[in-house]
Amino acid sequence: MNLRDVIAISKGEILTPQLSADAEIFSGCCADLMSDVLAYSRPQAVLLTGLINPQVVRTAQVADVRAIVFAHDKQPPPETLAIAVQENIFLIRSPMSMYELSGKLYAAGLRSCDADERA
Amino acid sequence: MNLQHVIDALQLSVLTEARDFSAISPSGGYASDLLSCVMAGTKKGALWITLQAHMNIVAVAALTEVAAIVITENAQPESAVIAKADEQNVILLSTPKTSYEICGALWEIGFR
Amino acid sequence: MNAPRPPTEQEKFGRHRPLTDRDAHEINRVEELSYDLKIHEIIAAEVVAIAPDAPLSDALDLLRLHRISGLPVVDEENLVGIISVEDILRALQNGEIHLPVKNYMSADPVSVRASDSIVEAIKIFTETGLGRLPVLNENKRLIGIITKGDITRGILRAVQHDYQEEEVRRYRASHLFEDIVSDRTTLVLRYAIQAGDFTHGGNASANIKRALLRLGANPQLARRCGIAAYEAEMNLIIHTAKGGVLKLEVESNEIVISAADDGPGIEDIQKVLQPGYSTASDQIRAMGFGAGMGLVNIQRTVDAMELKSAPGKGSKLIMRIAMSADDKKGAL
Repeated sequence: MNLRDVIAISKGEILTPQLSADAEIFSGCCADLMSDVLAYSRPQAVLLTGLINPQVVRTAQVADVRAIVFAHDKQPPPETLAIAVQENIFLIRSPMSMYELSGKLYAAGLRSCDADERA
Repeated sequence: MNLQHVIDALQLSVLTEARDFSAISPSGGYASDLLSCVMAGTKKGALWITLQAHMNIVAVAALTEVAAIVITENAQPESAVIAKADEQNVILLSTPKTSYEICGALWEIGFR
Repeated sequence: MNAPRPPTEQEKFGRHRPLTDRDAHEINRVEELSYDLKIHEIIAAEVVAIAPDAPLSDALDLLRLHRISGLPVVDEENLVGIISVEDILRALQNGEIHLPVKNYMSADPVSVRASDSIVEAIKIFTETGLGRLPVLNENKRLIGIITKGDITRGILRAVQHDYQEEEVRRYRASHLFEDIVSDRTTLVLRYAIQAGDFTHGGNASANIKRALLRLGANPQLARRCGIAAYEAEMNLIIHTAKGGVLKLEVESNEIVISAADDGPGIEDIQKVLQPGYSTASDQIRAMGFGAGMGLVNIQRTVDAMELKSAPGKGSKLIMRIAMSADDKKGAL
């Protein structure tokens, strides 16, 4: 799935207009626990989360997560945005819940991070 | 669709005492691993999807009156957690799948 | 018919879609370059000029010879005008090609300074519709001509240069070890981690991952090291009294990451290795940490893990990741 599809499906607002939205997303990951993201996400995944602190982006960077969707319209602080731009991690803010985001992206064909093998 | 259908369709394991799950009709789904968000955001009768397995989830579930907790990625609650859940009438279900996948599957079978 | 209305964005800019983020990113870099690059860096070294009293037919010959569309007119090194193909065409139509250049040139031409950024030239091109501008040095002497083509070529060259620089940086890093002769070469990266410093949490691990990529490690190896380092780094931030040291050692066939602190130490090592066991506060859990999965994660990620601790003294966590030939494309 293209990142642009993720933006459209999540009815998301782009928080990092400086970054390119031309990216392929291979899987989805729905989590608030950073260890979980590190353990189960796979490269080029989109992370759906309710957390907005800078560690989310750090975690994403280490785990090669390509984009993050913040649920419930949560606005991340400037530090989070700054690290994301620096590390080329695309940020989106969506009015939907993590459940709804997962459901709609899954229904649109985006599979789970561990669909084939555990990373 | 009742909880027995969900358990069958998603191949969930039941960790707490068996009971008549077909009498329970979940109202929807809610996914979060942050207890404070669950307290604030989940609706009565929903299925709560999380990979948290520690004692606090039982208290939160009892408080918010969710239909059941679906613990993902095979996170194993300690026996004390299961005992507490039985005591508080909280249903614990478990799956090896990720939260994302369980949300997707629930969405597909009609829980909006 | 519809009443007149202001043109839409699409009509004005001839685009069928708004700028994409990639466009915007590339435009940003070009914009940056248009301030960074100076006019004298991009213009041709030689300048062809003509005297005001020379006949227009000479000017035409020079334009043909050099395949250019305009000439600066110089009187004793002072710029006095510009003569273009259009001016000469007018002279031809009037049958006056034998007259001196000064009769048909545009006098007092707009010029730019050699030390200006190219953005100055771009502004003038946009505002005036001119195609070429004389370039003067600090003594107001003509040193060249700038055209739109010069600007495009100059920016393209600079962008290419950017790209080559990153390549060179990668190449240098990845050949680091080849230039050093020793029986055993080890690269050590050391990071001081402060207790409770969530703001910078993960920075050291991010740097470790980046360094490994620059050294030519394959992305999967860099990711595994990053994940192990990150969990260890967060443990130092969350669980130590005074922080500790995160260290990465790159050896010829393995990578060793260690996290050492001097307190408070671990009472029961078996217990902290259990999935889900955690002593973290609710506040830390609310940040997405402290779920008791950190060490479990590390164990899954690395090839060997060793945890030593003495209560009251401190702890040391050593993580080893073996490297196969496939993992090392560069120095590694």
